[in-house]
Amino acid sequence: MGVPAAVLDNLAARFRSCGLFVVLLHTDGSVAYHDPQAALFFQRYVLPLLQYGDPTEPELRAKLLKVTATSPVTVWNNFPGVILATAPCVQRRQLCGVLALAGRAGVFNHAEEILRVCSRLGLDGAWLHQQAEELAAYGEEDIQRQARLMLGTFKDQLSLGSLEGEMNSLSGHLADAYEELSLVYQISSGMRINRPAHDFFKQACLEALEVMGVQGMGVALHGENIHHQEPVLYGPLSLPPDSVHRLAEQLIPVLCRHKGPLLINDLANDKEFNWLAKHVRQLMAVPLQREEVILGCLFTLGKISGDFDSQDSKLLNSIGNESAIYLENAMLFDDAHGLMMGLLHSLTSAVDAKDAYTCGHSERVAVLARQLALEAGMSEAFAERVYMTGLLHDVGKIGVPEFVLQKTGRLTPEEFEQMKKHPEIGARILSDIKQISDVIPGVLHHHERYGGQGYPYGLVGEDIPLMGRIICLADSFDAMTSNRTYRKAMPLEVAMTEIRRCSGTQFDPGLTEAFLRIAADKFRELLADHSTRARQLMDSQPSLRCA
Amino acid sequence: MSAKKILVADDESHILHVVSLKLRNAGFEVVTAADGQEALELAISERPDLLITDYHMPQLSGLELCRKLKQDPITAKIPTIMLTARGYDLDLKDTQDSGILRMLSKPFSPRALLTTVNEVLLEAAA
Repeated sequence: MGVPAAVLDNLAARFRSCGLFVVLLHTDGSVAYHDPQAALFFQRYVLPLLQYGDPTEPELRAKLLKVTATSPVTVWNNFPGVILATAPCVQRRQLCGVLALAGRAGVFNHAEEILRVCSRLGLDGAWLHQQAEELAAYGEEDIQRQARLMLGTFKDQLSLGSLEGEMNSLSGHLADAYEELSLVYQISSGMRINRPAHDFFKQACLEALEVMGVQGMGVALHGENIHHQEPVLYGPLSLPPDSVHRLAEQLIPVLCRHKGPLLINDLANDKEFNWLAKHVRQLMAVPLQREEVILGCLFTLGKISGDFDSQDSKLLNSIGNESAIYLENAMLFDDAHGLMMGLLHSLTSAVDAKDAYTCGHSERVAVLARQLALEAGMSEAFAERVYMTGLLHDVGKIGVPEFVLQKTGRLTPEEFEQMKKHPEIGARILSDIKQISDVIPGVLHHHERYGGQGYPYGLVGEDIPLMGRIICLADSFDAMTSNRTYRKAMPLEVAMTEIRRCSGTQFDPGLTEAFLRIAADKFRELLADHSTRARQLMDSQPSLRCA
Repeated sequence: MSAKKILVADDESHILHVVSLKLRNAGFEVVTAADGQEALELAISERPDLLITDYHMPQLSGLELCRKLKQDPITAKIPTIMLTARGYDLDLKDTQDSGILRMLSKPFSPRALLTTVNEVLLEAAA
């Protein structure tokens, strides 16, 4: 166990300024450290003496090395011209050498012996004398005091050094914790319920890949749900697609049994997954699980440095838990959304079933109105609400007698009064569903006219809710271009001209512009596509077929 | 080329430790300050290539620090990354003439901070 070099350098520098020389000897006698910047007297004369001993006193060096961890500070004045103090060098209660502090002896005598050592070391005695003169002289008590000071300083430096090491390691762990915290935060802020699962998992995997330092991170979903997707693997590791499938199929039952994270650091010796060993060394996986039900799993392959440890598995587990919450919520959302849309479509079919001639009208108005909203620069989310409003705009016709709806001739004023009630009836029917309260203005006001001649309230211009103005345009256009009980469909171009003519009196001029901008062809495509799908739906479900 | 010098100012010592460790390991020279006033003095004496500062600090807030640096021609050009508590993001218009090029919310990812530092230094060099 070595003493950190920085600690010794620090110690040497302090005592160098007092004209003293710090040396660390191993217990076998070799020099482990000496002050590299010491005065020449120490470098050329004292260091070799300590290294090789004094041949006239061969026992001296051996005695000097006979220290134990509890030996006291010892002073040696038997080296010619040198005064020396030694103390055990103890680190974590282990003896790891002898710390020696050397100074110029107070009385620089023993001239003969000094000269003898000089000649053996190839030094000039006069030169050495000159070098020694420049250094402060130390007596026995002085050097002993300094040696005690050195020992105290050494201990302080050691503990400072180890504190610094601990601090760095704590900072390192803290940095990892920050990294993980910010990863988990990133993932949870990506948990928008209406986000497609593949998008969510892609983001989660790519971010986790970096933080965990792995070669591959993937997801496999299990069971039938609309979020079902093929297993995918992200990251620099490339596995053949069928291997990803095989891994996913194998993992799910293993995780079902395991009920927790699976961690394999040596794939070559694993009975079940050894086939992966030719690609990668480690595998870790966690189930995506809500209340005992396994929705899928997250897996990661190939740790870039070292092996997977408990911290990795904890992190993967947190990501797995978060992902499972997202997945469950997304599934619940889809269920609820699907149920609501299903009910709304049923309601629309109920209206259409009453009036054979308007069959498919609500769906077409919905599609047109959504397209118009997008063309006019409104958001996707708003356009979806417009679509829903289009579906429901005529729901109130349920409350209008069938003979009025299906009358082939002109309506009498009384019949027309009955017909005019359908927006209000529709608004009333829908008023109890608070989740779609925003579509009600569109239903209530889709027969208002921009110039104020419409019903039920005769609102003018911008006072008519936007939803109402949008539905009005789409509704009128579809009415003109479909066969009705009382007239044949208008050709498309005639309908477009009619729309333009009524801009400002019946229709919002801004919306009319947007409506006309959408090329007639686009409408044709859109409608053709829609009617094909509608026909397929009708064919598959005879009960929906219009009378 | 000598290592780029980065001044990090935060009154929370654990942030200083984490950021310094990450930056030193990446080869930067790091100088730290425990409050805004110290950071101001160090910015003048040390002339760092980049400043990373917390927003909430005693003596002088991060934003006040940046404004003072901006007024002194010696320090006006030091690009700055500001750390803020999550949910306390500054209004961008408040930072327009303060030299703040990026903002990171705590707890930030040290990896992302390092990426940001490299980006900002590249931008400043361009």
